[in-house]
Amino acid sequence: MVVGRRDWLLGTPALGGALACRPAAAREVEYALVGQSPERGHLLRSGELLDQPIAGRERTKVAIVGGGVAGLSAAWWLVRQGLARADLVLLELEPALGGTARGARMPRSAHPMGAHYLPTPPPELPELETLLEELGVLVGRDGQGRPEWQTTAICAAPGERHFFASQWHPGLYPEHGQTQAEADQWARFWTMLHALDRARDGAGELLFRLPVRRSSPQMRALDRQTMKHWLDERQLTSWRLRWYVDYACRDDYGCGIDHCSAFAGLHHFLGRGLEETRAGELLTWAEGNGQLIERMDDLLALGERRQLDQLVCAIDPERGELRVHDCVAKATRVIEAEVILWAAPRYLLPHLLPRGVDPLPSGALTYAPWLVANLELGQAPAGVGAMLAWDNVPVFADGQAHDLGYVLATHGEGRDIVEPGAVITYYEPLVGATAEALAMQRARLLAGDAREWGEHVIRSLERMHPTLRKTLRAVHVHRWGHAMIRPVPGLLFGPELELARQPIGRVRACATDVGGLPLFEEAFYSAIEGAEWALARLGSA
Amino acid sequence: MSESPESNPAAAPDPVELALPREQARARLLLFVVLVVATCGLIYELITATMASYLLGDSVTQFSLVIGVYLSAMGVGSWLSRFVVHRLADRFVSVQLIIAVVGGFSAPALFLGFAQLDSIRPLLFAILILVGTMVGLEIPLLMRLMPGREQLKDLVARVLAFDYIGALLASILFPLVLLPWLGLVRTSLLFGLLNSLVALWSAHAFRAELARPRSTIAQTLLAIALTGTCLLFGKQIEEFGERQLYDAPVIFSQKTQYQRLTITRLGDDFRLFIDGNLQFASTDEHRYHEALVHPAFAARDQLANQPARRALVLGGGDGLALRELLRYPNLEQIDLVDLDPRMTELFRETPQLVELNRGSLADPRVQIHNADAMVWLERRRSGEAGPWQPWDVIVVDLPDPNNLSLGKLYTVAFYRLVRAALADDGVAVVQSTSPHLSPNAFWCIVATLDAAELNPLPYHAHVPSFGDWGFNLIARQPLVVPKTLNPQLPAELRFLANDLLPTLFVFPRDQAQPAEVEVNRLDTQLLVRYYEQDLAALGPRRGGA
Repeated sequence: MVVGRRDWLLGTPALGGALACRPAAAREVEYALVGQSPERGHLLRSGELLDQPIAGRERTKVAIVGGGVAGLSAAWWLVRQGLARADLVLLELEPALGGTARGARMPRSAHPMGAHYLPTPPPELPELETLLEELGVLVGRDGQGRPEWQTTAICAAPGERHFFASQWHPGLYPEHGQTQAEADQWARFWTMLHALDRARDGAGELLFRLPVRRSSPQMRALDRQTMKHWLDERQLTSWRLRWYVDYACRDDYGCGIDHCSAFAGLHHFLGRGLEETRAGELLTWAEGNGQLIERMDDLLALGERRQLDQLVCAIDPERGELRVHDCVAKATRVIEAEVILWAAPRYLLPHLLPRGVDPLPSGALTYAPWLVANLELGQAPAGVGAMLAWDNVPVFADGQAHDLGYVLATHGEGRDIVEPGAVITYYEPLVGATAEALAMQRARLLAGDAREWGEHVIRSLERMHPTLRKTLRAVHVHRWGHAMIRPVPGLLFGPELELARQPIGRVRACATDVGGLPLFEEAFYSAIEGAEWALARLGSA
Repeated sequence: MSESPESNPAAAPDPVELALPREQARARLLLFVVLVVATCGLIYELITATMASYLLGDSVTQFSLVIGVYLSAMGVGSWLSRFVVHRLADRFVSVQLIIAVVGGFSAPALFLGFAQLDSIRPLLFAILILVGTMVGLEIPLLMRLMPGREQLKDLVARVLAFDYIGALLASILFPLVLLPWLGLVRTSLLFGLLNSLVALWSAHAFRAELARPRSTIAQTLLAIALTGTCLLFGKQIEEFGERQLYDAPVIFSQKTQYQRLTITRLGDDFRLFIDGNLQFASTDEHRYHEALVHPAFAARDQLANQPARRALVLGGGDGLALRELLRYPNLEQIDLVDLDPRMTELFRETPQLVELNRGSLADPRVQIHNADAMVWLERRRSGEAGPWQPWDVIVVDLPDPNNLSLGKLYTVAFYRLVRAALADDGVAVVQSTSPHLSPNAFWCIVATLDAAELNPLPYHAHVPSFGDWGFNLIARQPLVVPKTLNPQLPAELRFLANDLLPTLFVFPRDQAQPAEVEVNRLDTQLLVRYYEQDLAALGPRRGGA
């Protein structure tokens, strides 16, 4: 048989449409706000917890604040370097670990709430390889020493499709109907990227690498201009190419080519080596990077040294004192730590420190708010043209639509799963040019309730799937007020990040944002550097 | 449409003189309509009956059920005609349109339904009853529409005579001309079109008596467009539909959670089809399964000092590869991983099939795991699903890579997993599709195995029901062509012998490796494309294994 029966059916417009119209029992759609609670964050900033009586005092060598990728990576490195588990405590504000890499579950499938994949690390990141090996994701090496990955974690084809001119097309570049001039620009863009791919400076340093601050100084001037400016200078004016690059920036950094630095924009393509030339793959799981979080948690086995629902409401950086409020037990205690690793967003830190201690000017770092939603569907989305892929992206030439489409949480299911339906994860960064615009977006995000945002998400998706609502069972909305650090021009190699990372007494920030790019690898290496600093400090004390 | 004569005053002859020829013309037209309608009616009945016996097996039962239900539905229709009192012409055209659309799309609908529905019977009988009732309603309506001069005896005689002549026409045309030349789908659509044309013609003839002639004519035009377009672009539906058909009587057909399993039997020849693809024919499956299993043991003798004790079969839920494995007395434990529990159950419990696989699935040495091969192996490797202990022999006997979810099981990543599951001195064999029918796919599998560092040794065997079929021996260490079968193997094989064995590894010059085949990776899955292109180049045909 040339084509599988179902493929054939879904590939045929008229019939696919007819099947999609199959009537479904009208059911009530469940709308819910899920995930990070803005209340706890606001409680932290309001200062009202400072009046609570102190119920107890504890001592520890290292206190890690934040149980996301950075906090867990820091703990993993510390334990690996010989720190006893009993000598550290990991405090997480939320009732679950993960931060923006959290995963959750709907009846049909697990799904991500935010970060949902990790490219296999390039060779210059051996520490990350080690982590993945210990987590059982890297399962062996071939005869040439190339790593071998858990097969079920590799994102299988078809990886991407885009919705353009009322049809789905494979890949992400809207090639359909392009002119020769546009095709030439596209080719020229890739020639430029190939020239920079894995290129090194005279000293042998990679021009673009992760963590970004270890990139060679040679191209750093690109960080002073926007990606748009870079495209303008090279007469890369094709809207298709610009859409593609803008999409890449919004997807990775939560800000488009107007706001994102050219270095960051190019780094998206070059930071790990070009996708088409490197022998790498994307690792992904139904629950996104939540799977990595779960495995790190299991591997660490911190037991009661890993504490959830812990709100750190004040830090004395000189004495190493943390005032910690247990949001469930409603009790406040003080932890005295020799070293404090702040593995939570950097913008929160000044709210806990004594006034005037933080050297970082307020507003030096800007963050993109994100709307993420998971939709449980009784029938997997189909559509005319290219078949359902892992990443499904709408292309709108008008530039008004800023959502990034959806990712299929159920993409990696084996042939043994026959349950119909799917869970899809919708992503939309709320973009803004200035800090004020972003603050307004954030306020809008937090003001909306589950139904309002749920309807917004459904309407966006209905442009691609008009009958989506018919089998929709639930919409779970995740509002991330400060989801991603924005690599605006000047940030990556400017003085702010240095200041943000600089220790304050016994405290050092080591989360993703102080790396400059909102990527797993940045969180991981910030954390390792933080952990190394902590160990050095403990050793010298 | 030209204007009717009476509306043209200049040329209008005396109405009295015209009355007779006009009525005669209408009577002739209506008799022709009877002929067409009767032919169409019987054609739909024959299509339904043929489909029922193709898809459900047991043709005697299907034919007699279909005839009985259809005739009784016609009876119901005739009886219902007494309730049609007003607007006879309107009703008549509507009835024709319903027959045209429902009957015309009956074959495509049944094929699609067969692919999609758990049971085809409700749809089949719904179509049958609807068309039967409408055909039954049509003849009485037509007789009442006949111009009133004729006596009842003449009317009944003429109408019924044409009715039965139409039936004869249909019953001759259908098996001799329509089925062989057009196939079921296009026959059904062609008669739907014919029916709609007749509906248009009658609408035109009766336009004076119609309540809303324009809308009725528009409806008939729509039906013509619908059936006509599908007939024009019906090639795909046709090919798709034909694939659901089997050359031999169906003795079992079931849609499981995962696939449709169909077993046909012609004399002693049992055939298994998965989703319409031939998996084996009992007359020559021994060639396929002997060639699949025994060269691996012969090759393993080069590497190992100890006889194989543990074997793994991925796929092969029919138990036939297992039957060959069980010939080796030293094998202590065999794990078989097949996706579909219904498949392994069927081949463990159906007497004729158990006879074929010699009860291999019930052998105490065999443990059956119903799971996706990749997921199962990966779970084993991570220690989630039992101990991870490499196997001495692995038989990868999966269906051809005709879709992405099967294509995953032919990737470097999957073969690395198989490699990890293989003992250092172990040998595995991979069913690799036909080097003749799909050369690019075959050599892509070879290249992929090579990229997975599995030292592939390609070979092939002639299996008449499949054609020339390809396999690959793989191992962690390089292999050379085996010369002799494993000495433990009892001398009871029907196909393989020591003199034939080395010749399987020789490929004729016209089957040499194509210059450019790329490796099949999980994130690109080129193999499925190669496979589709290869088969498309050959025209539609059934894939194998």
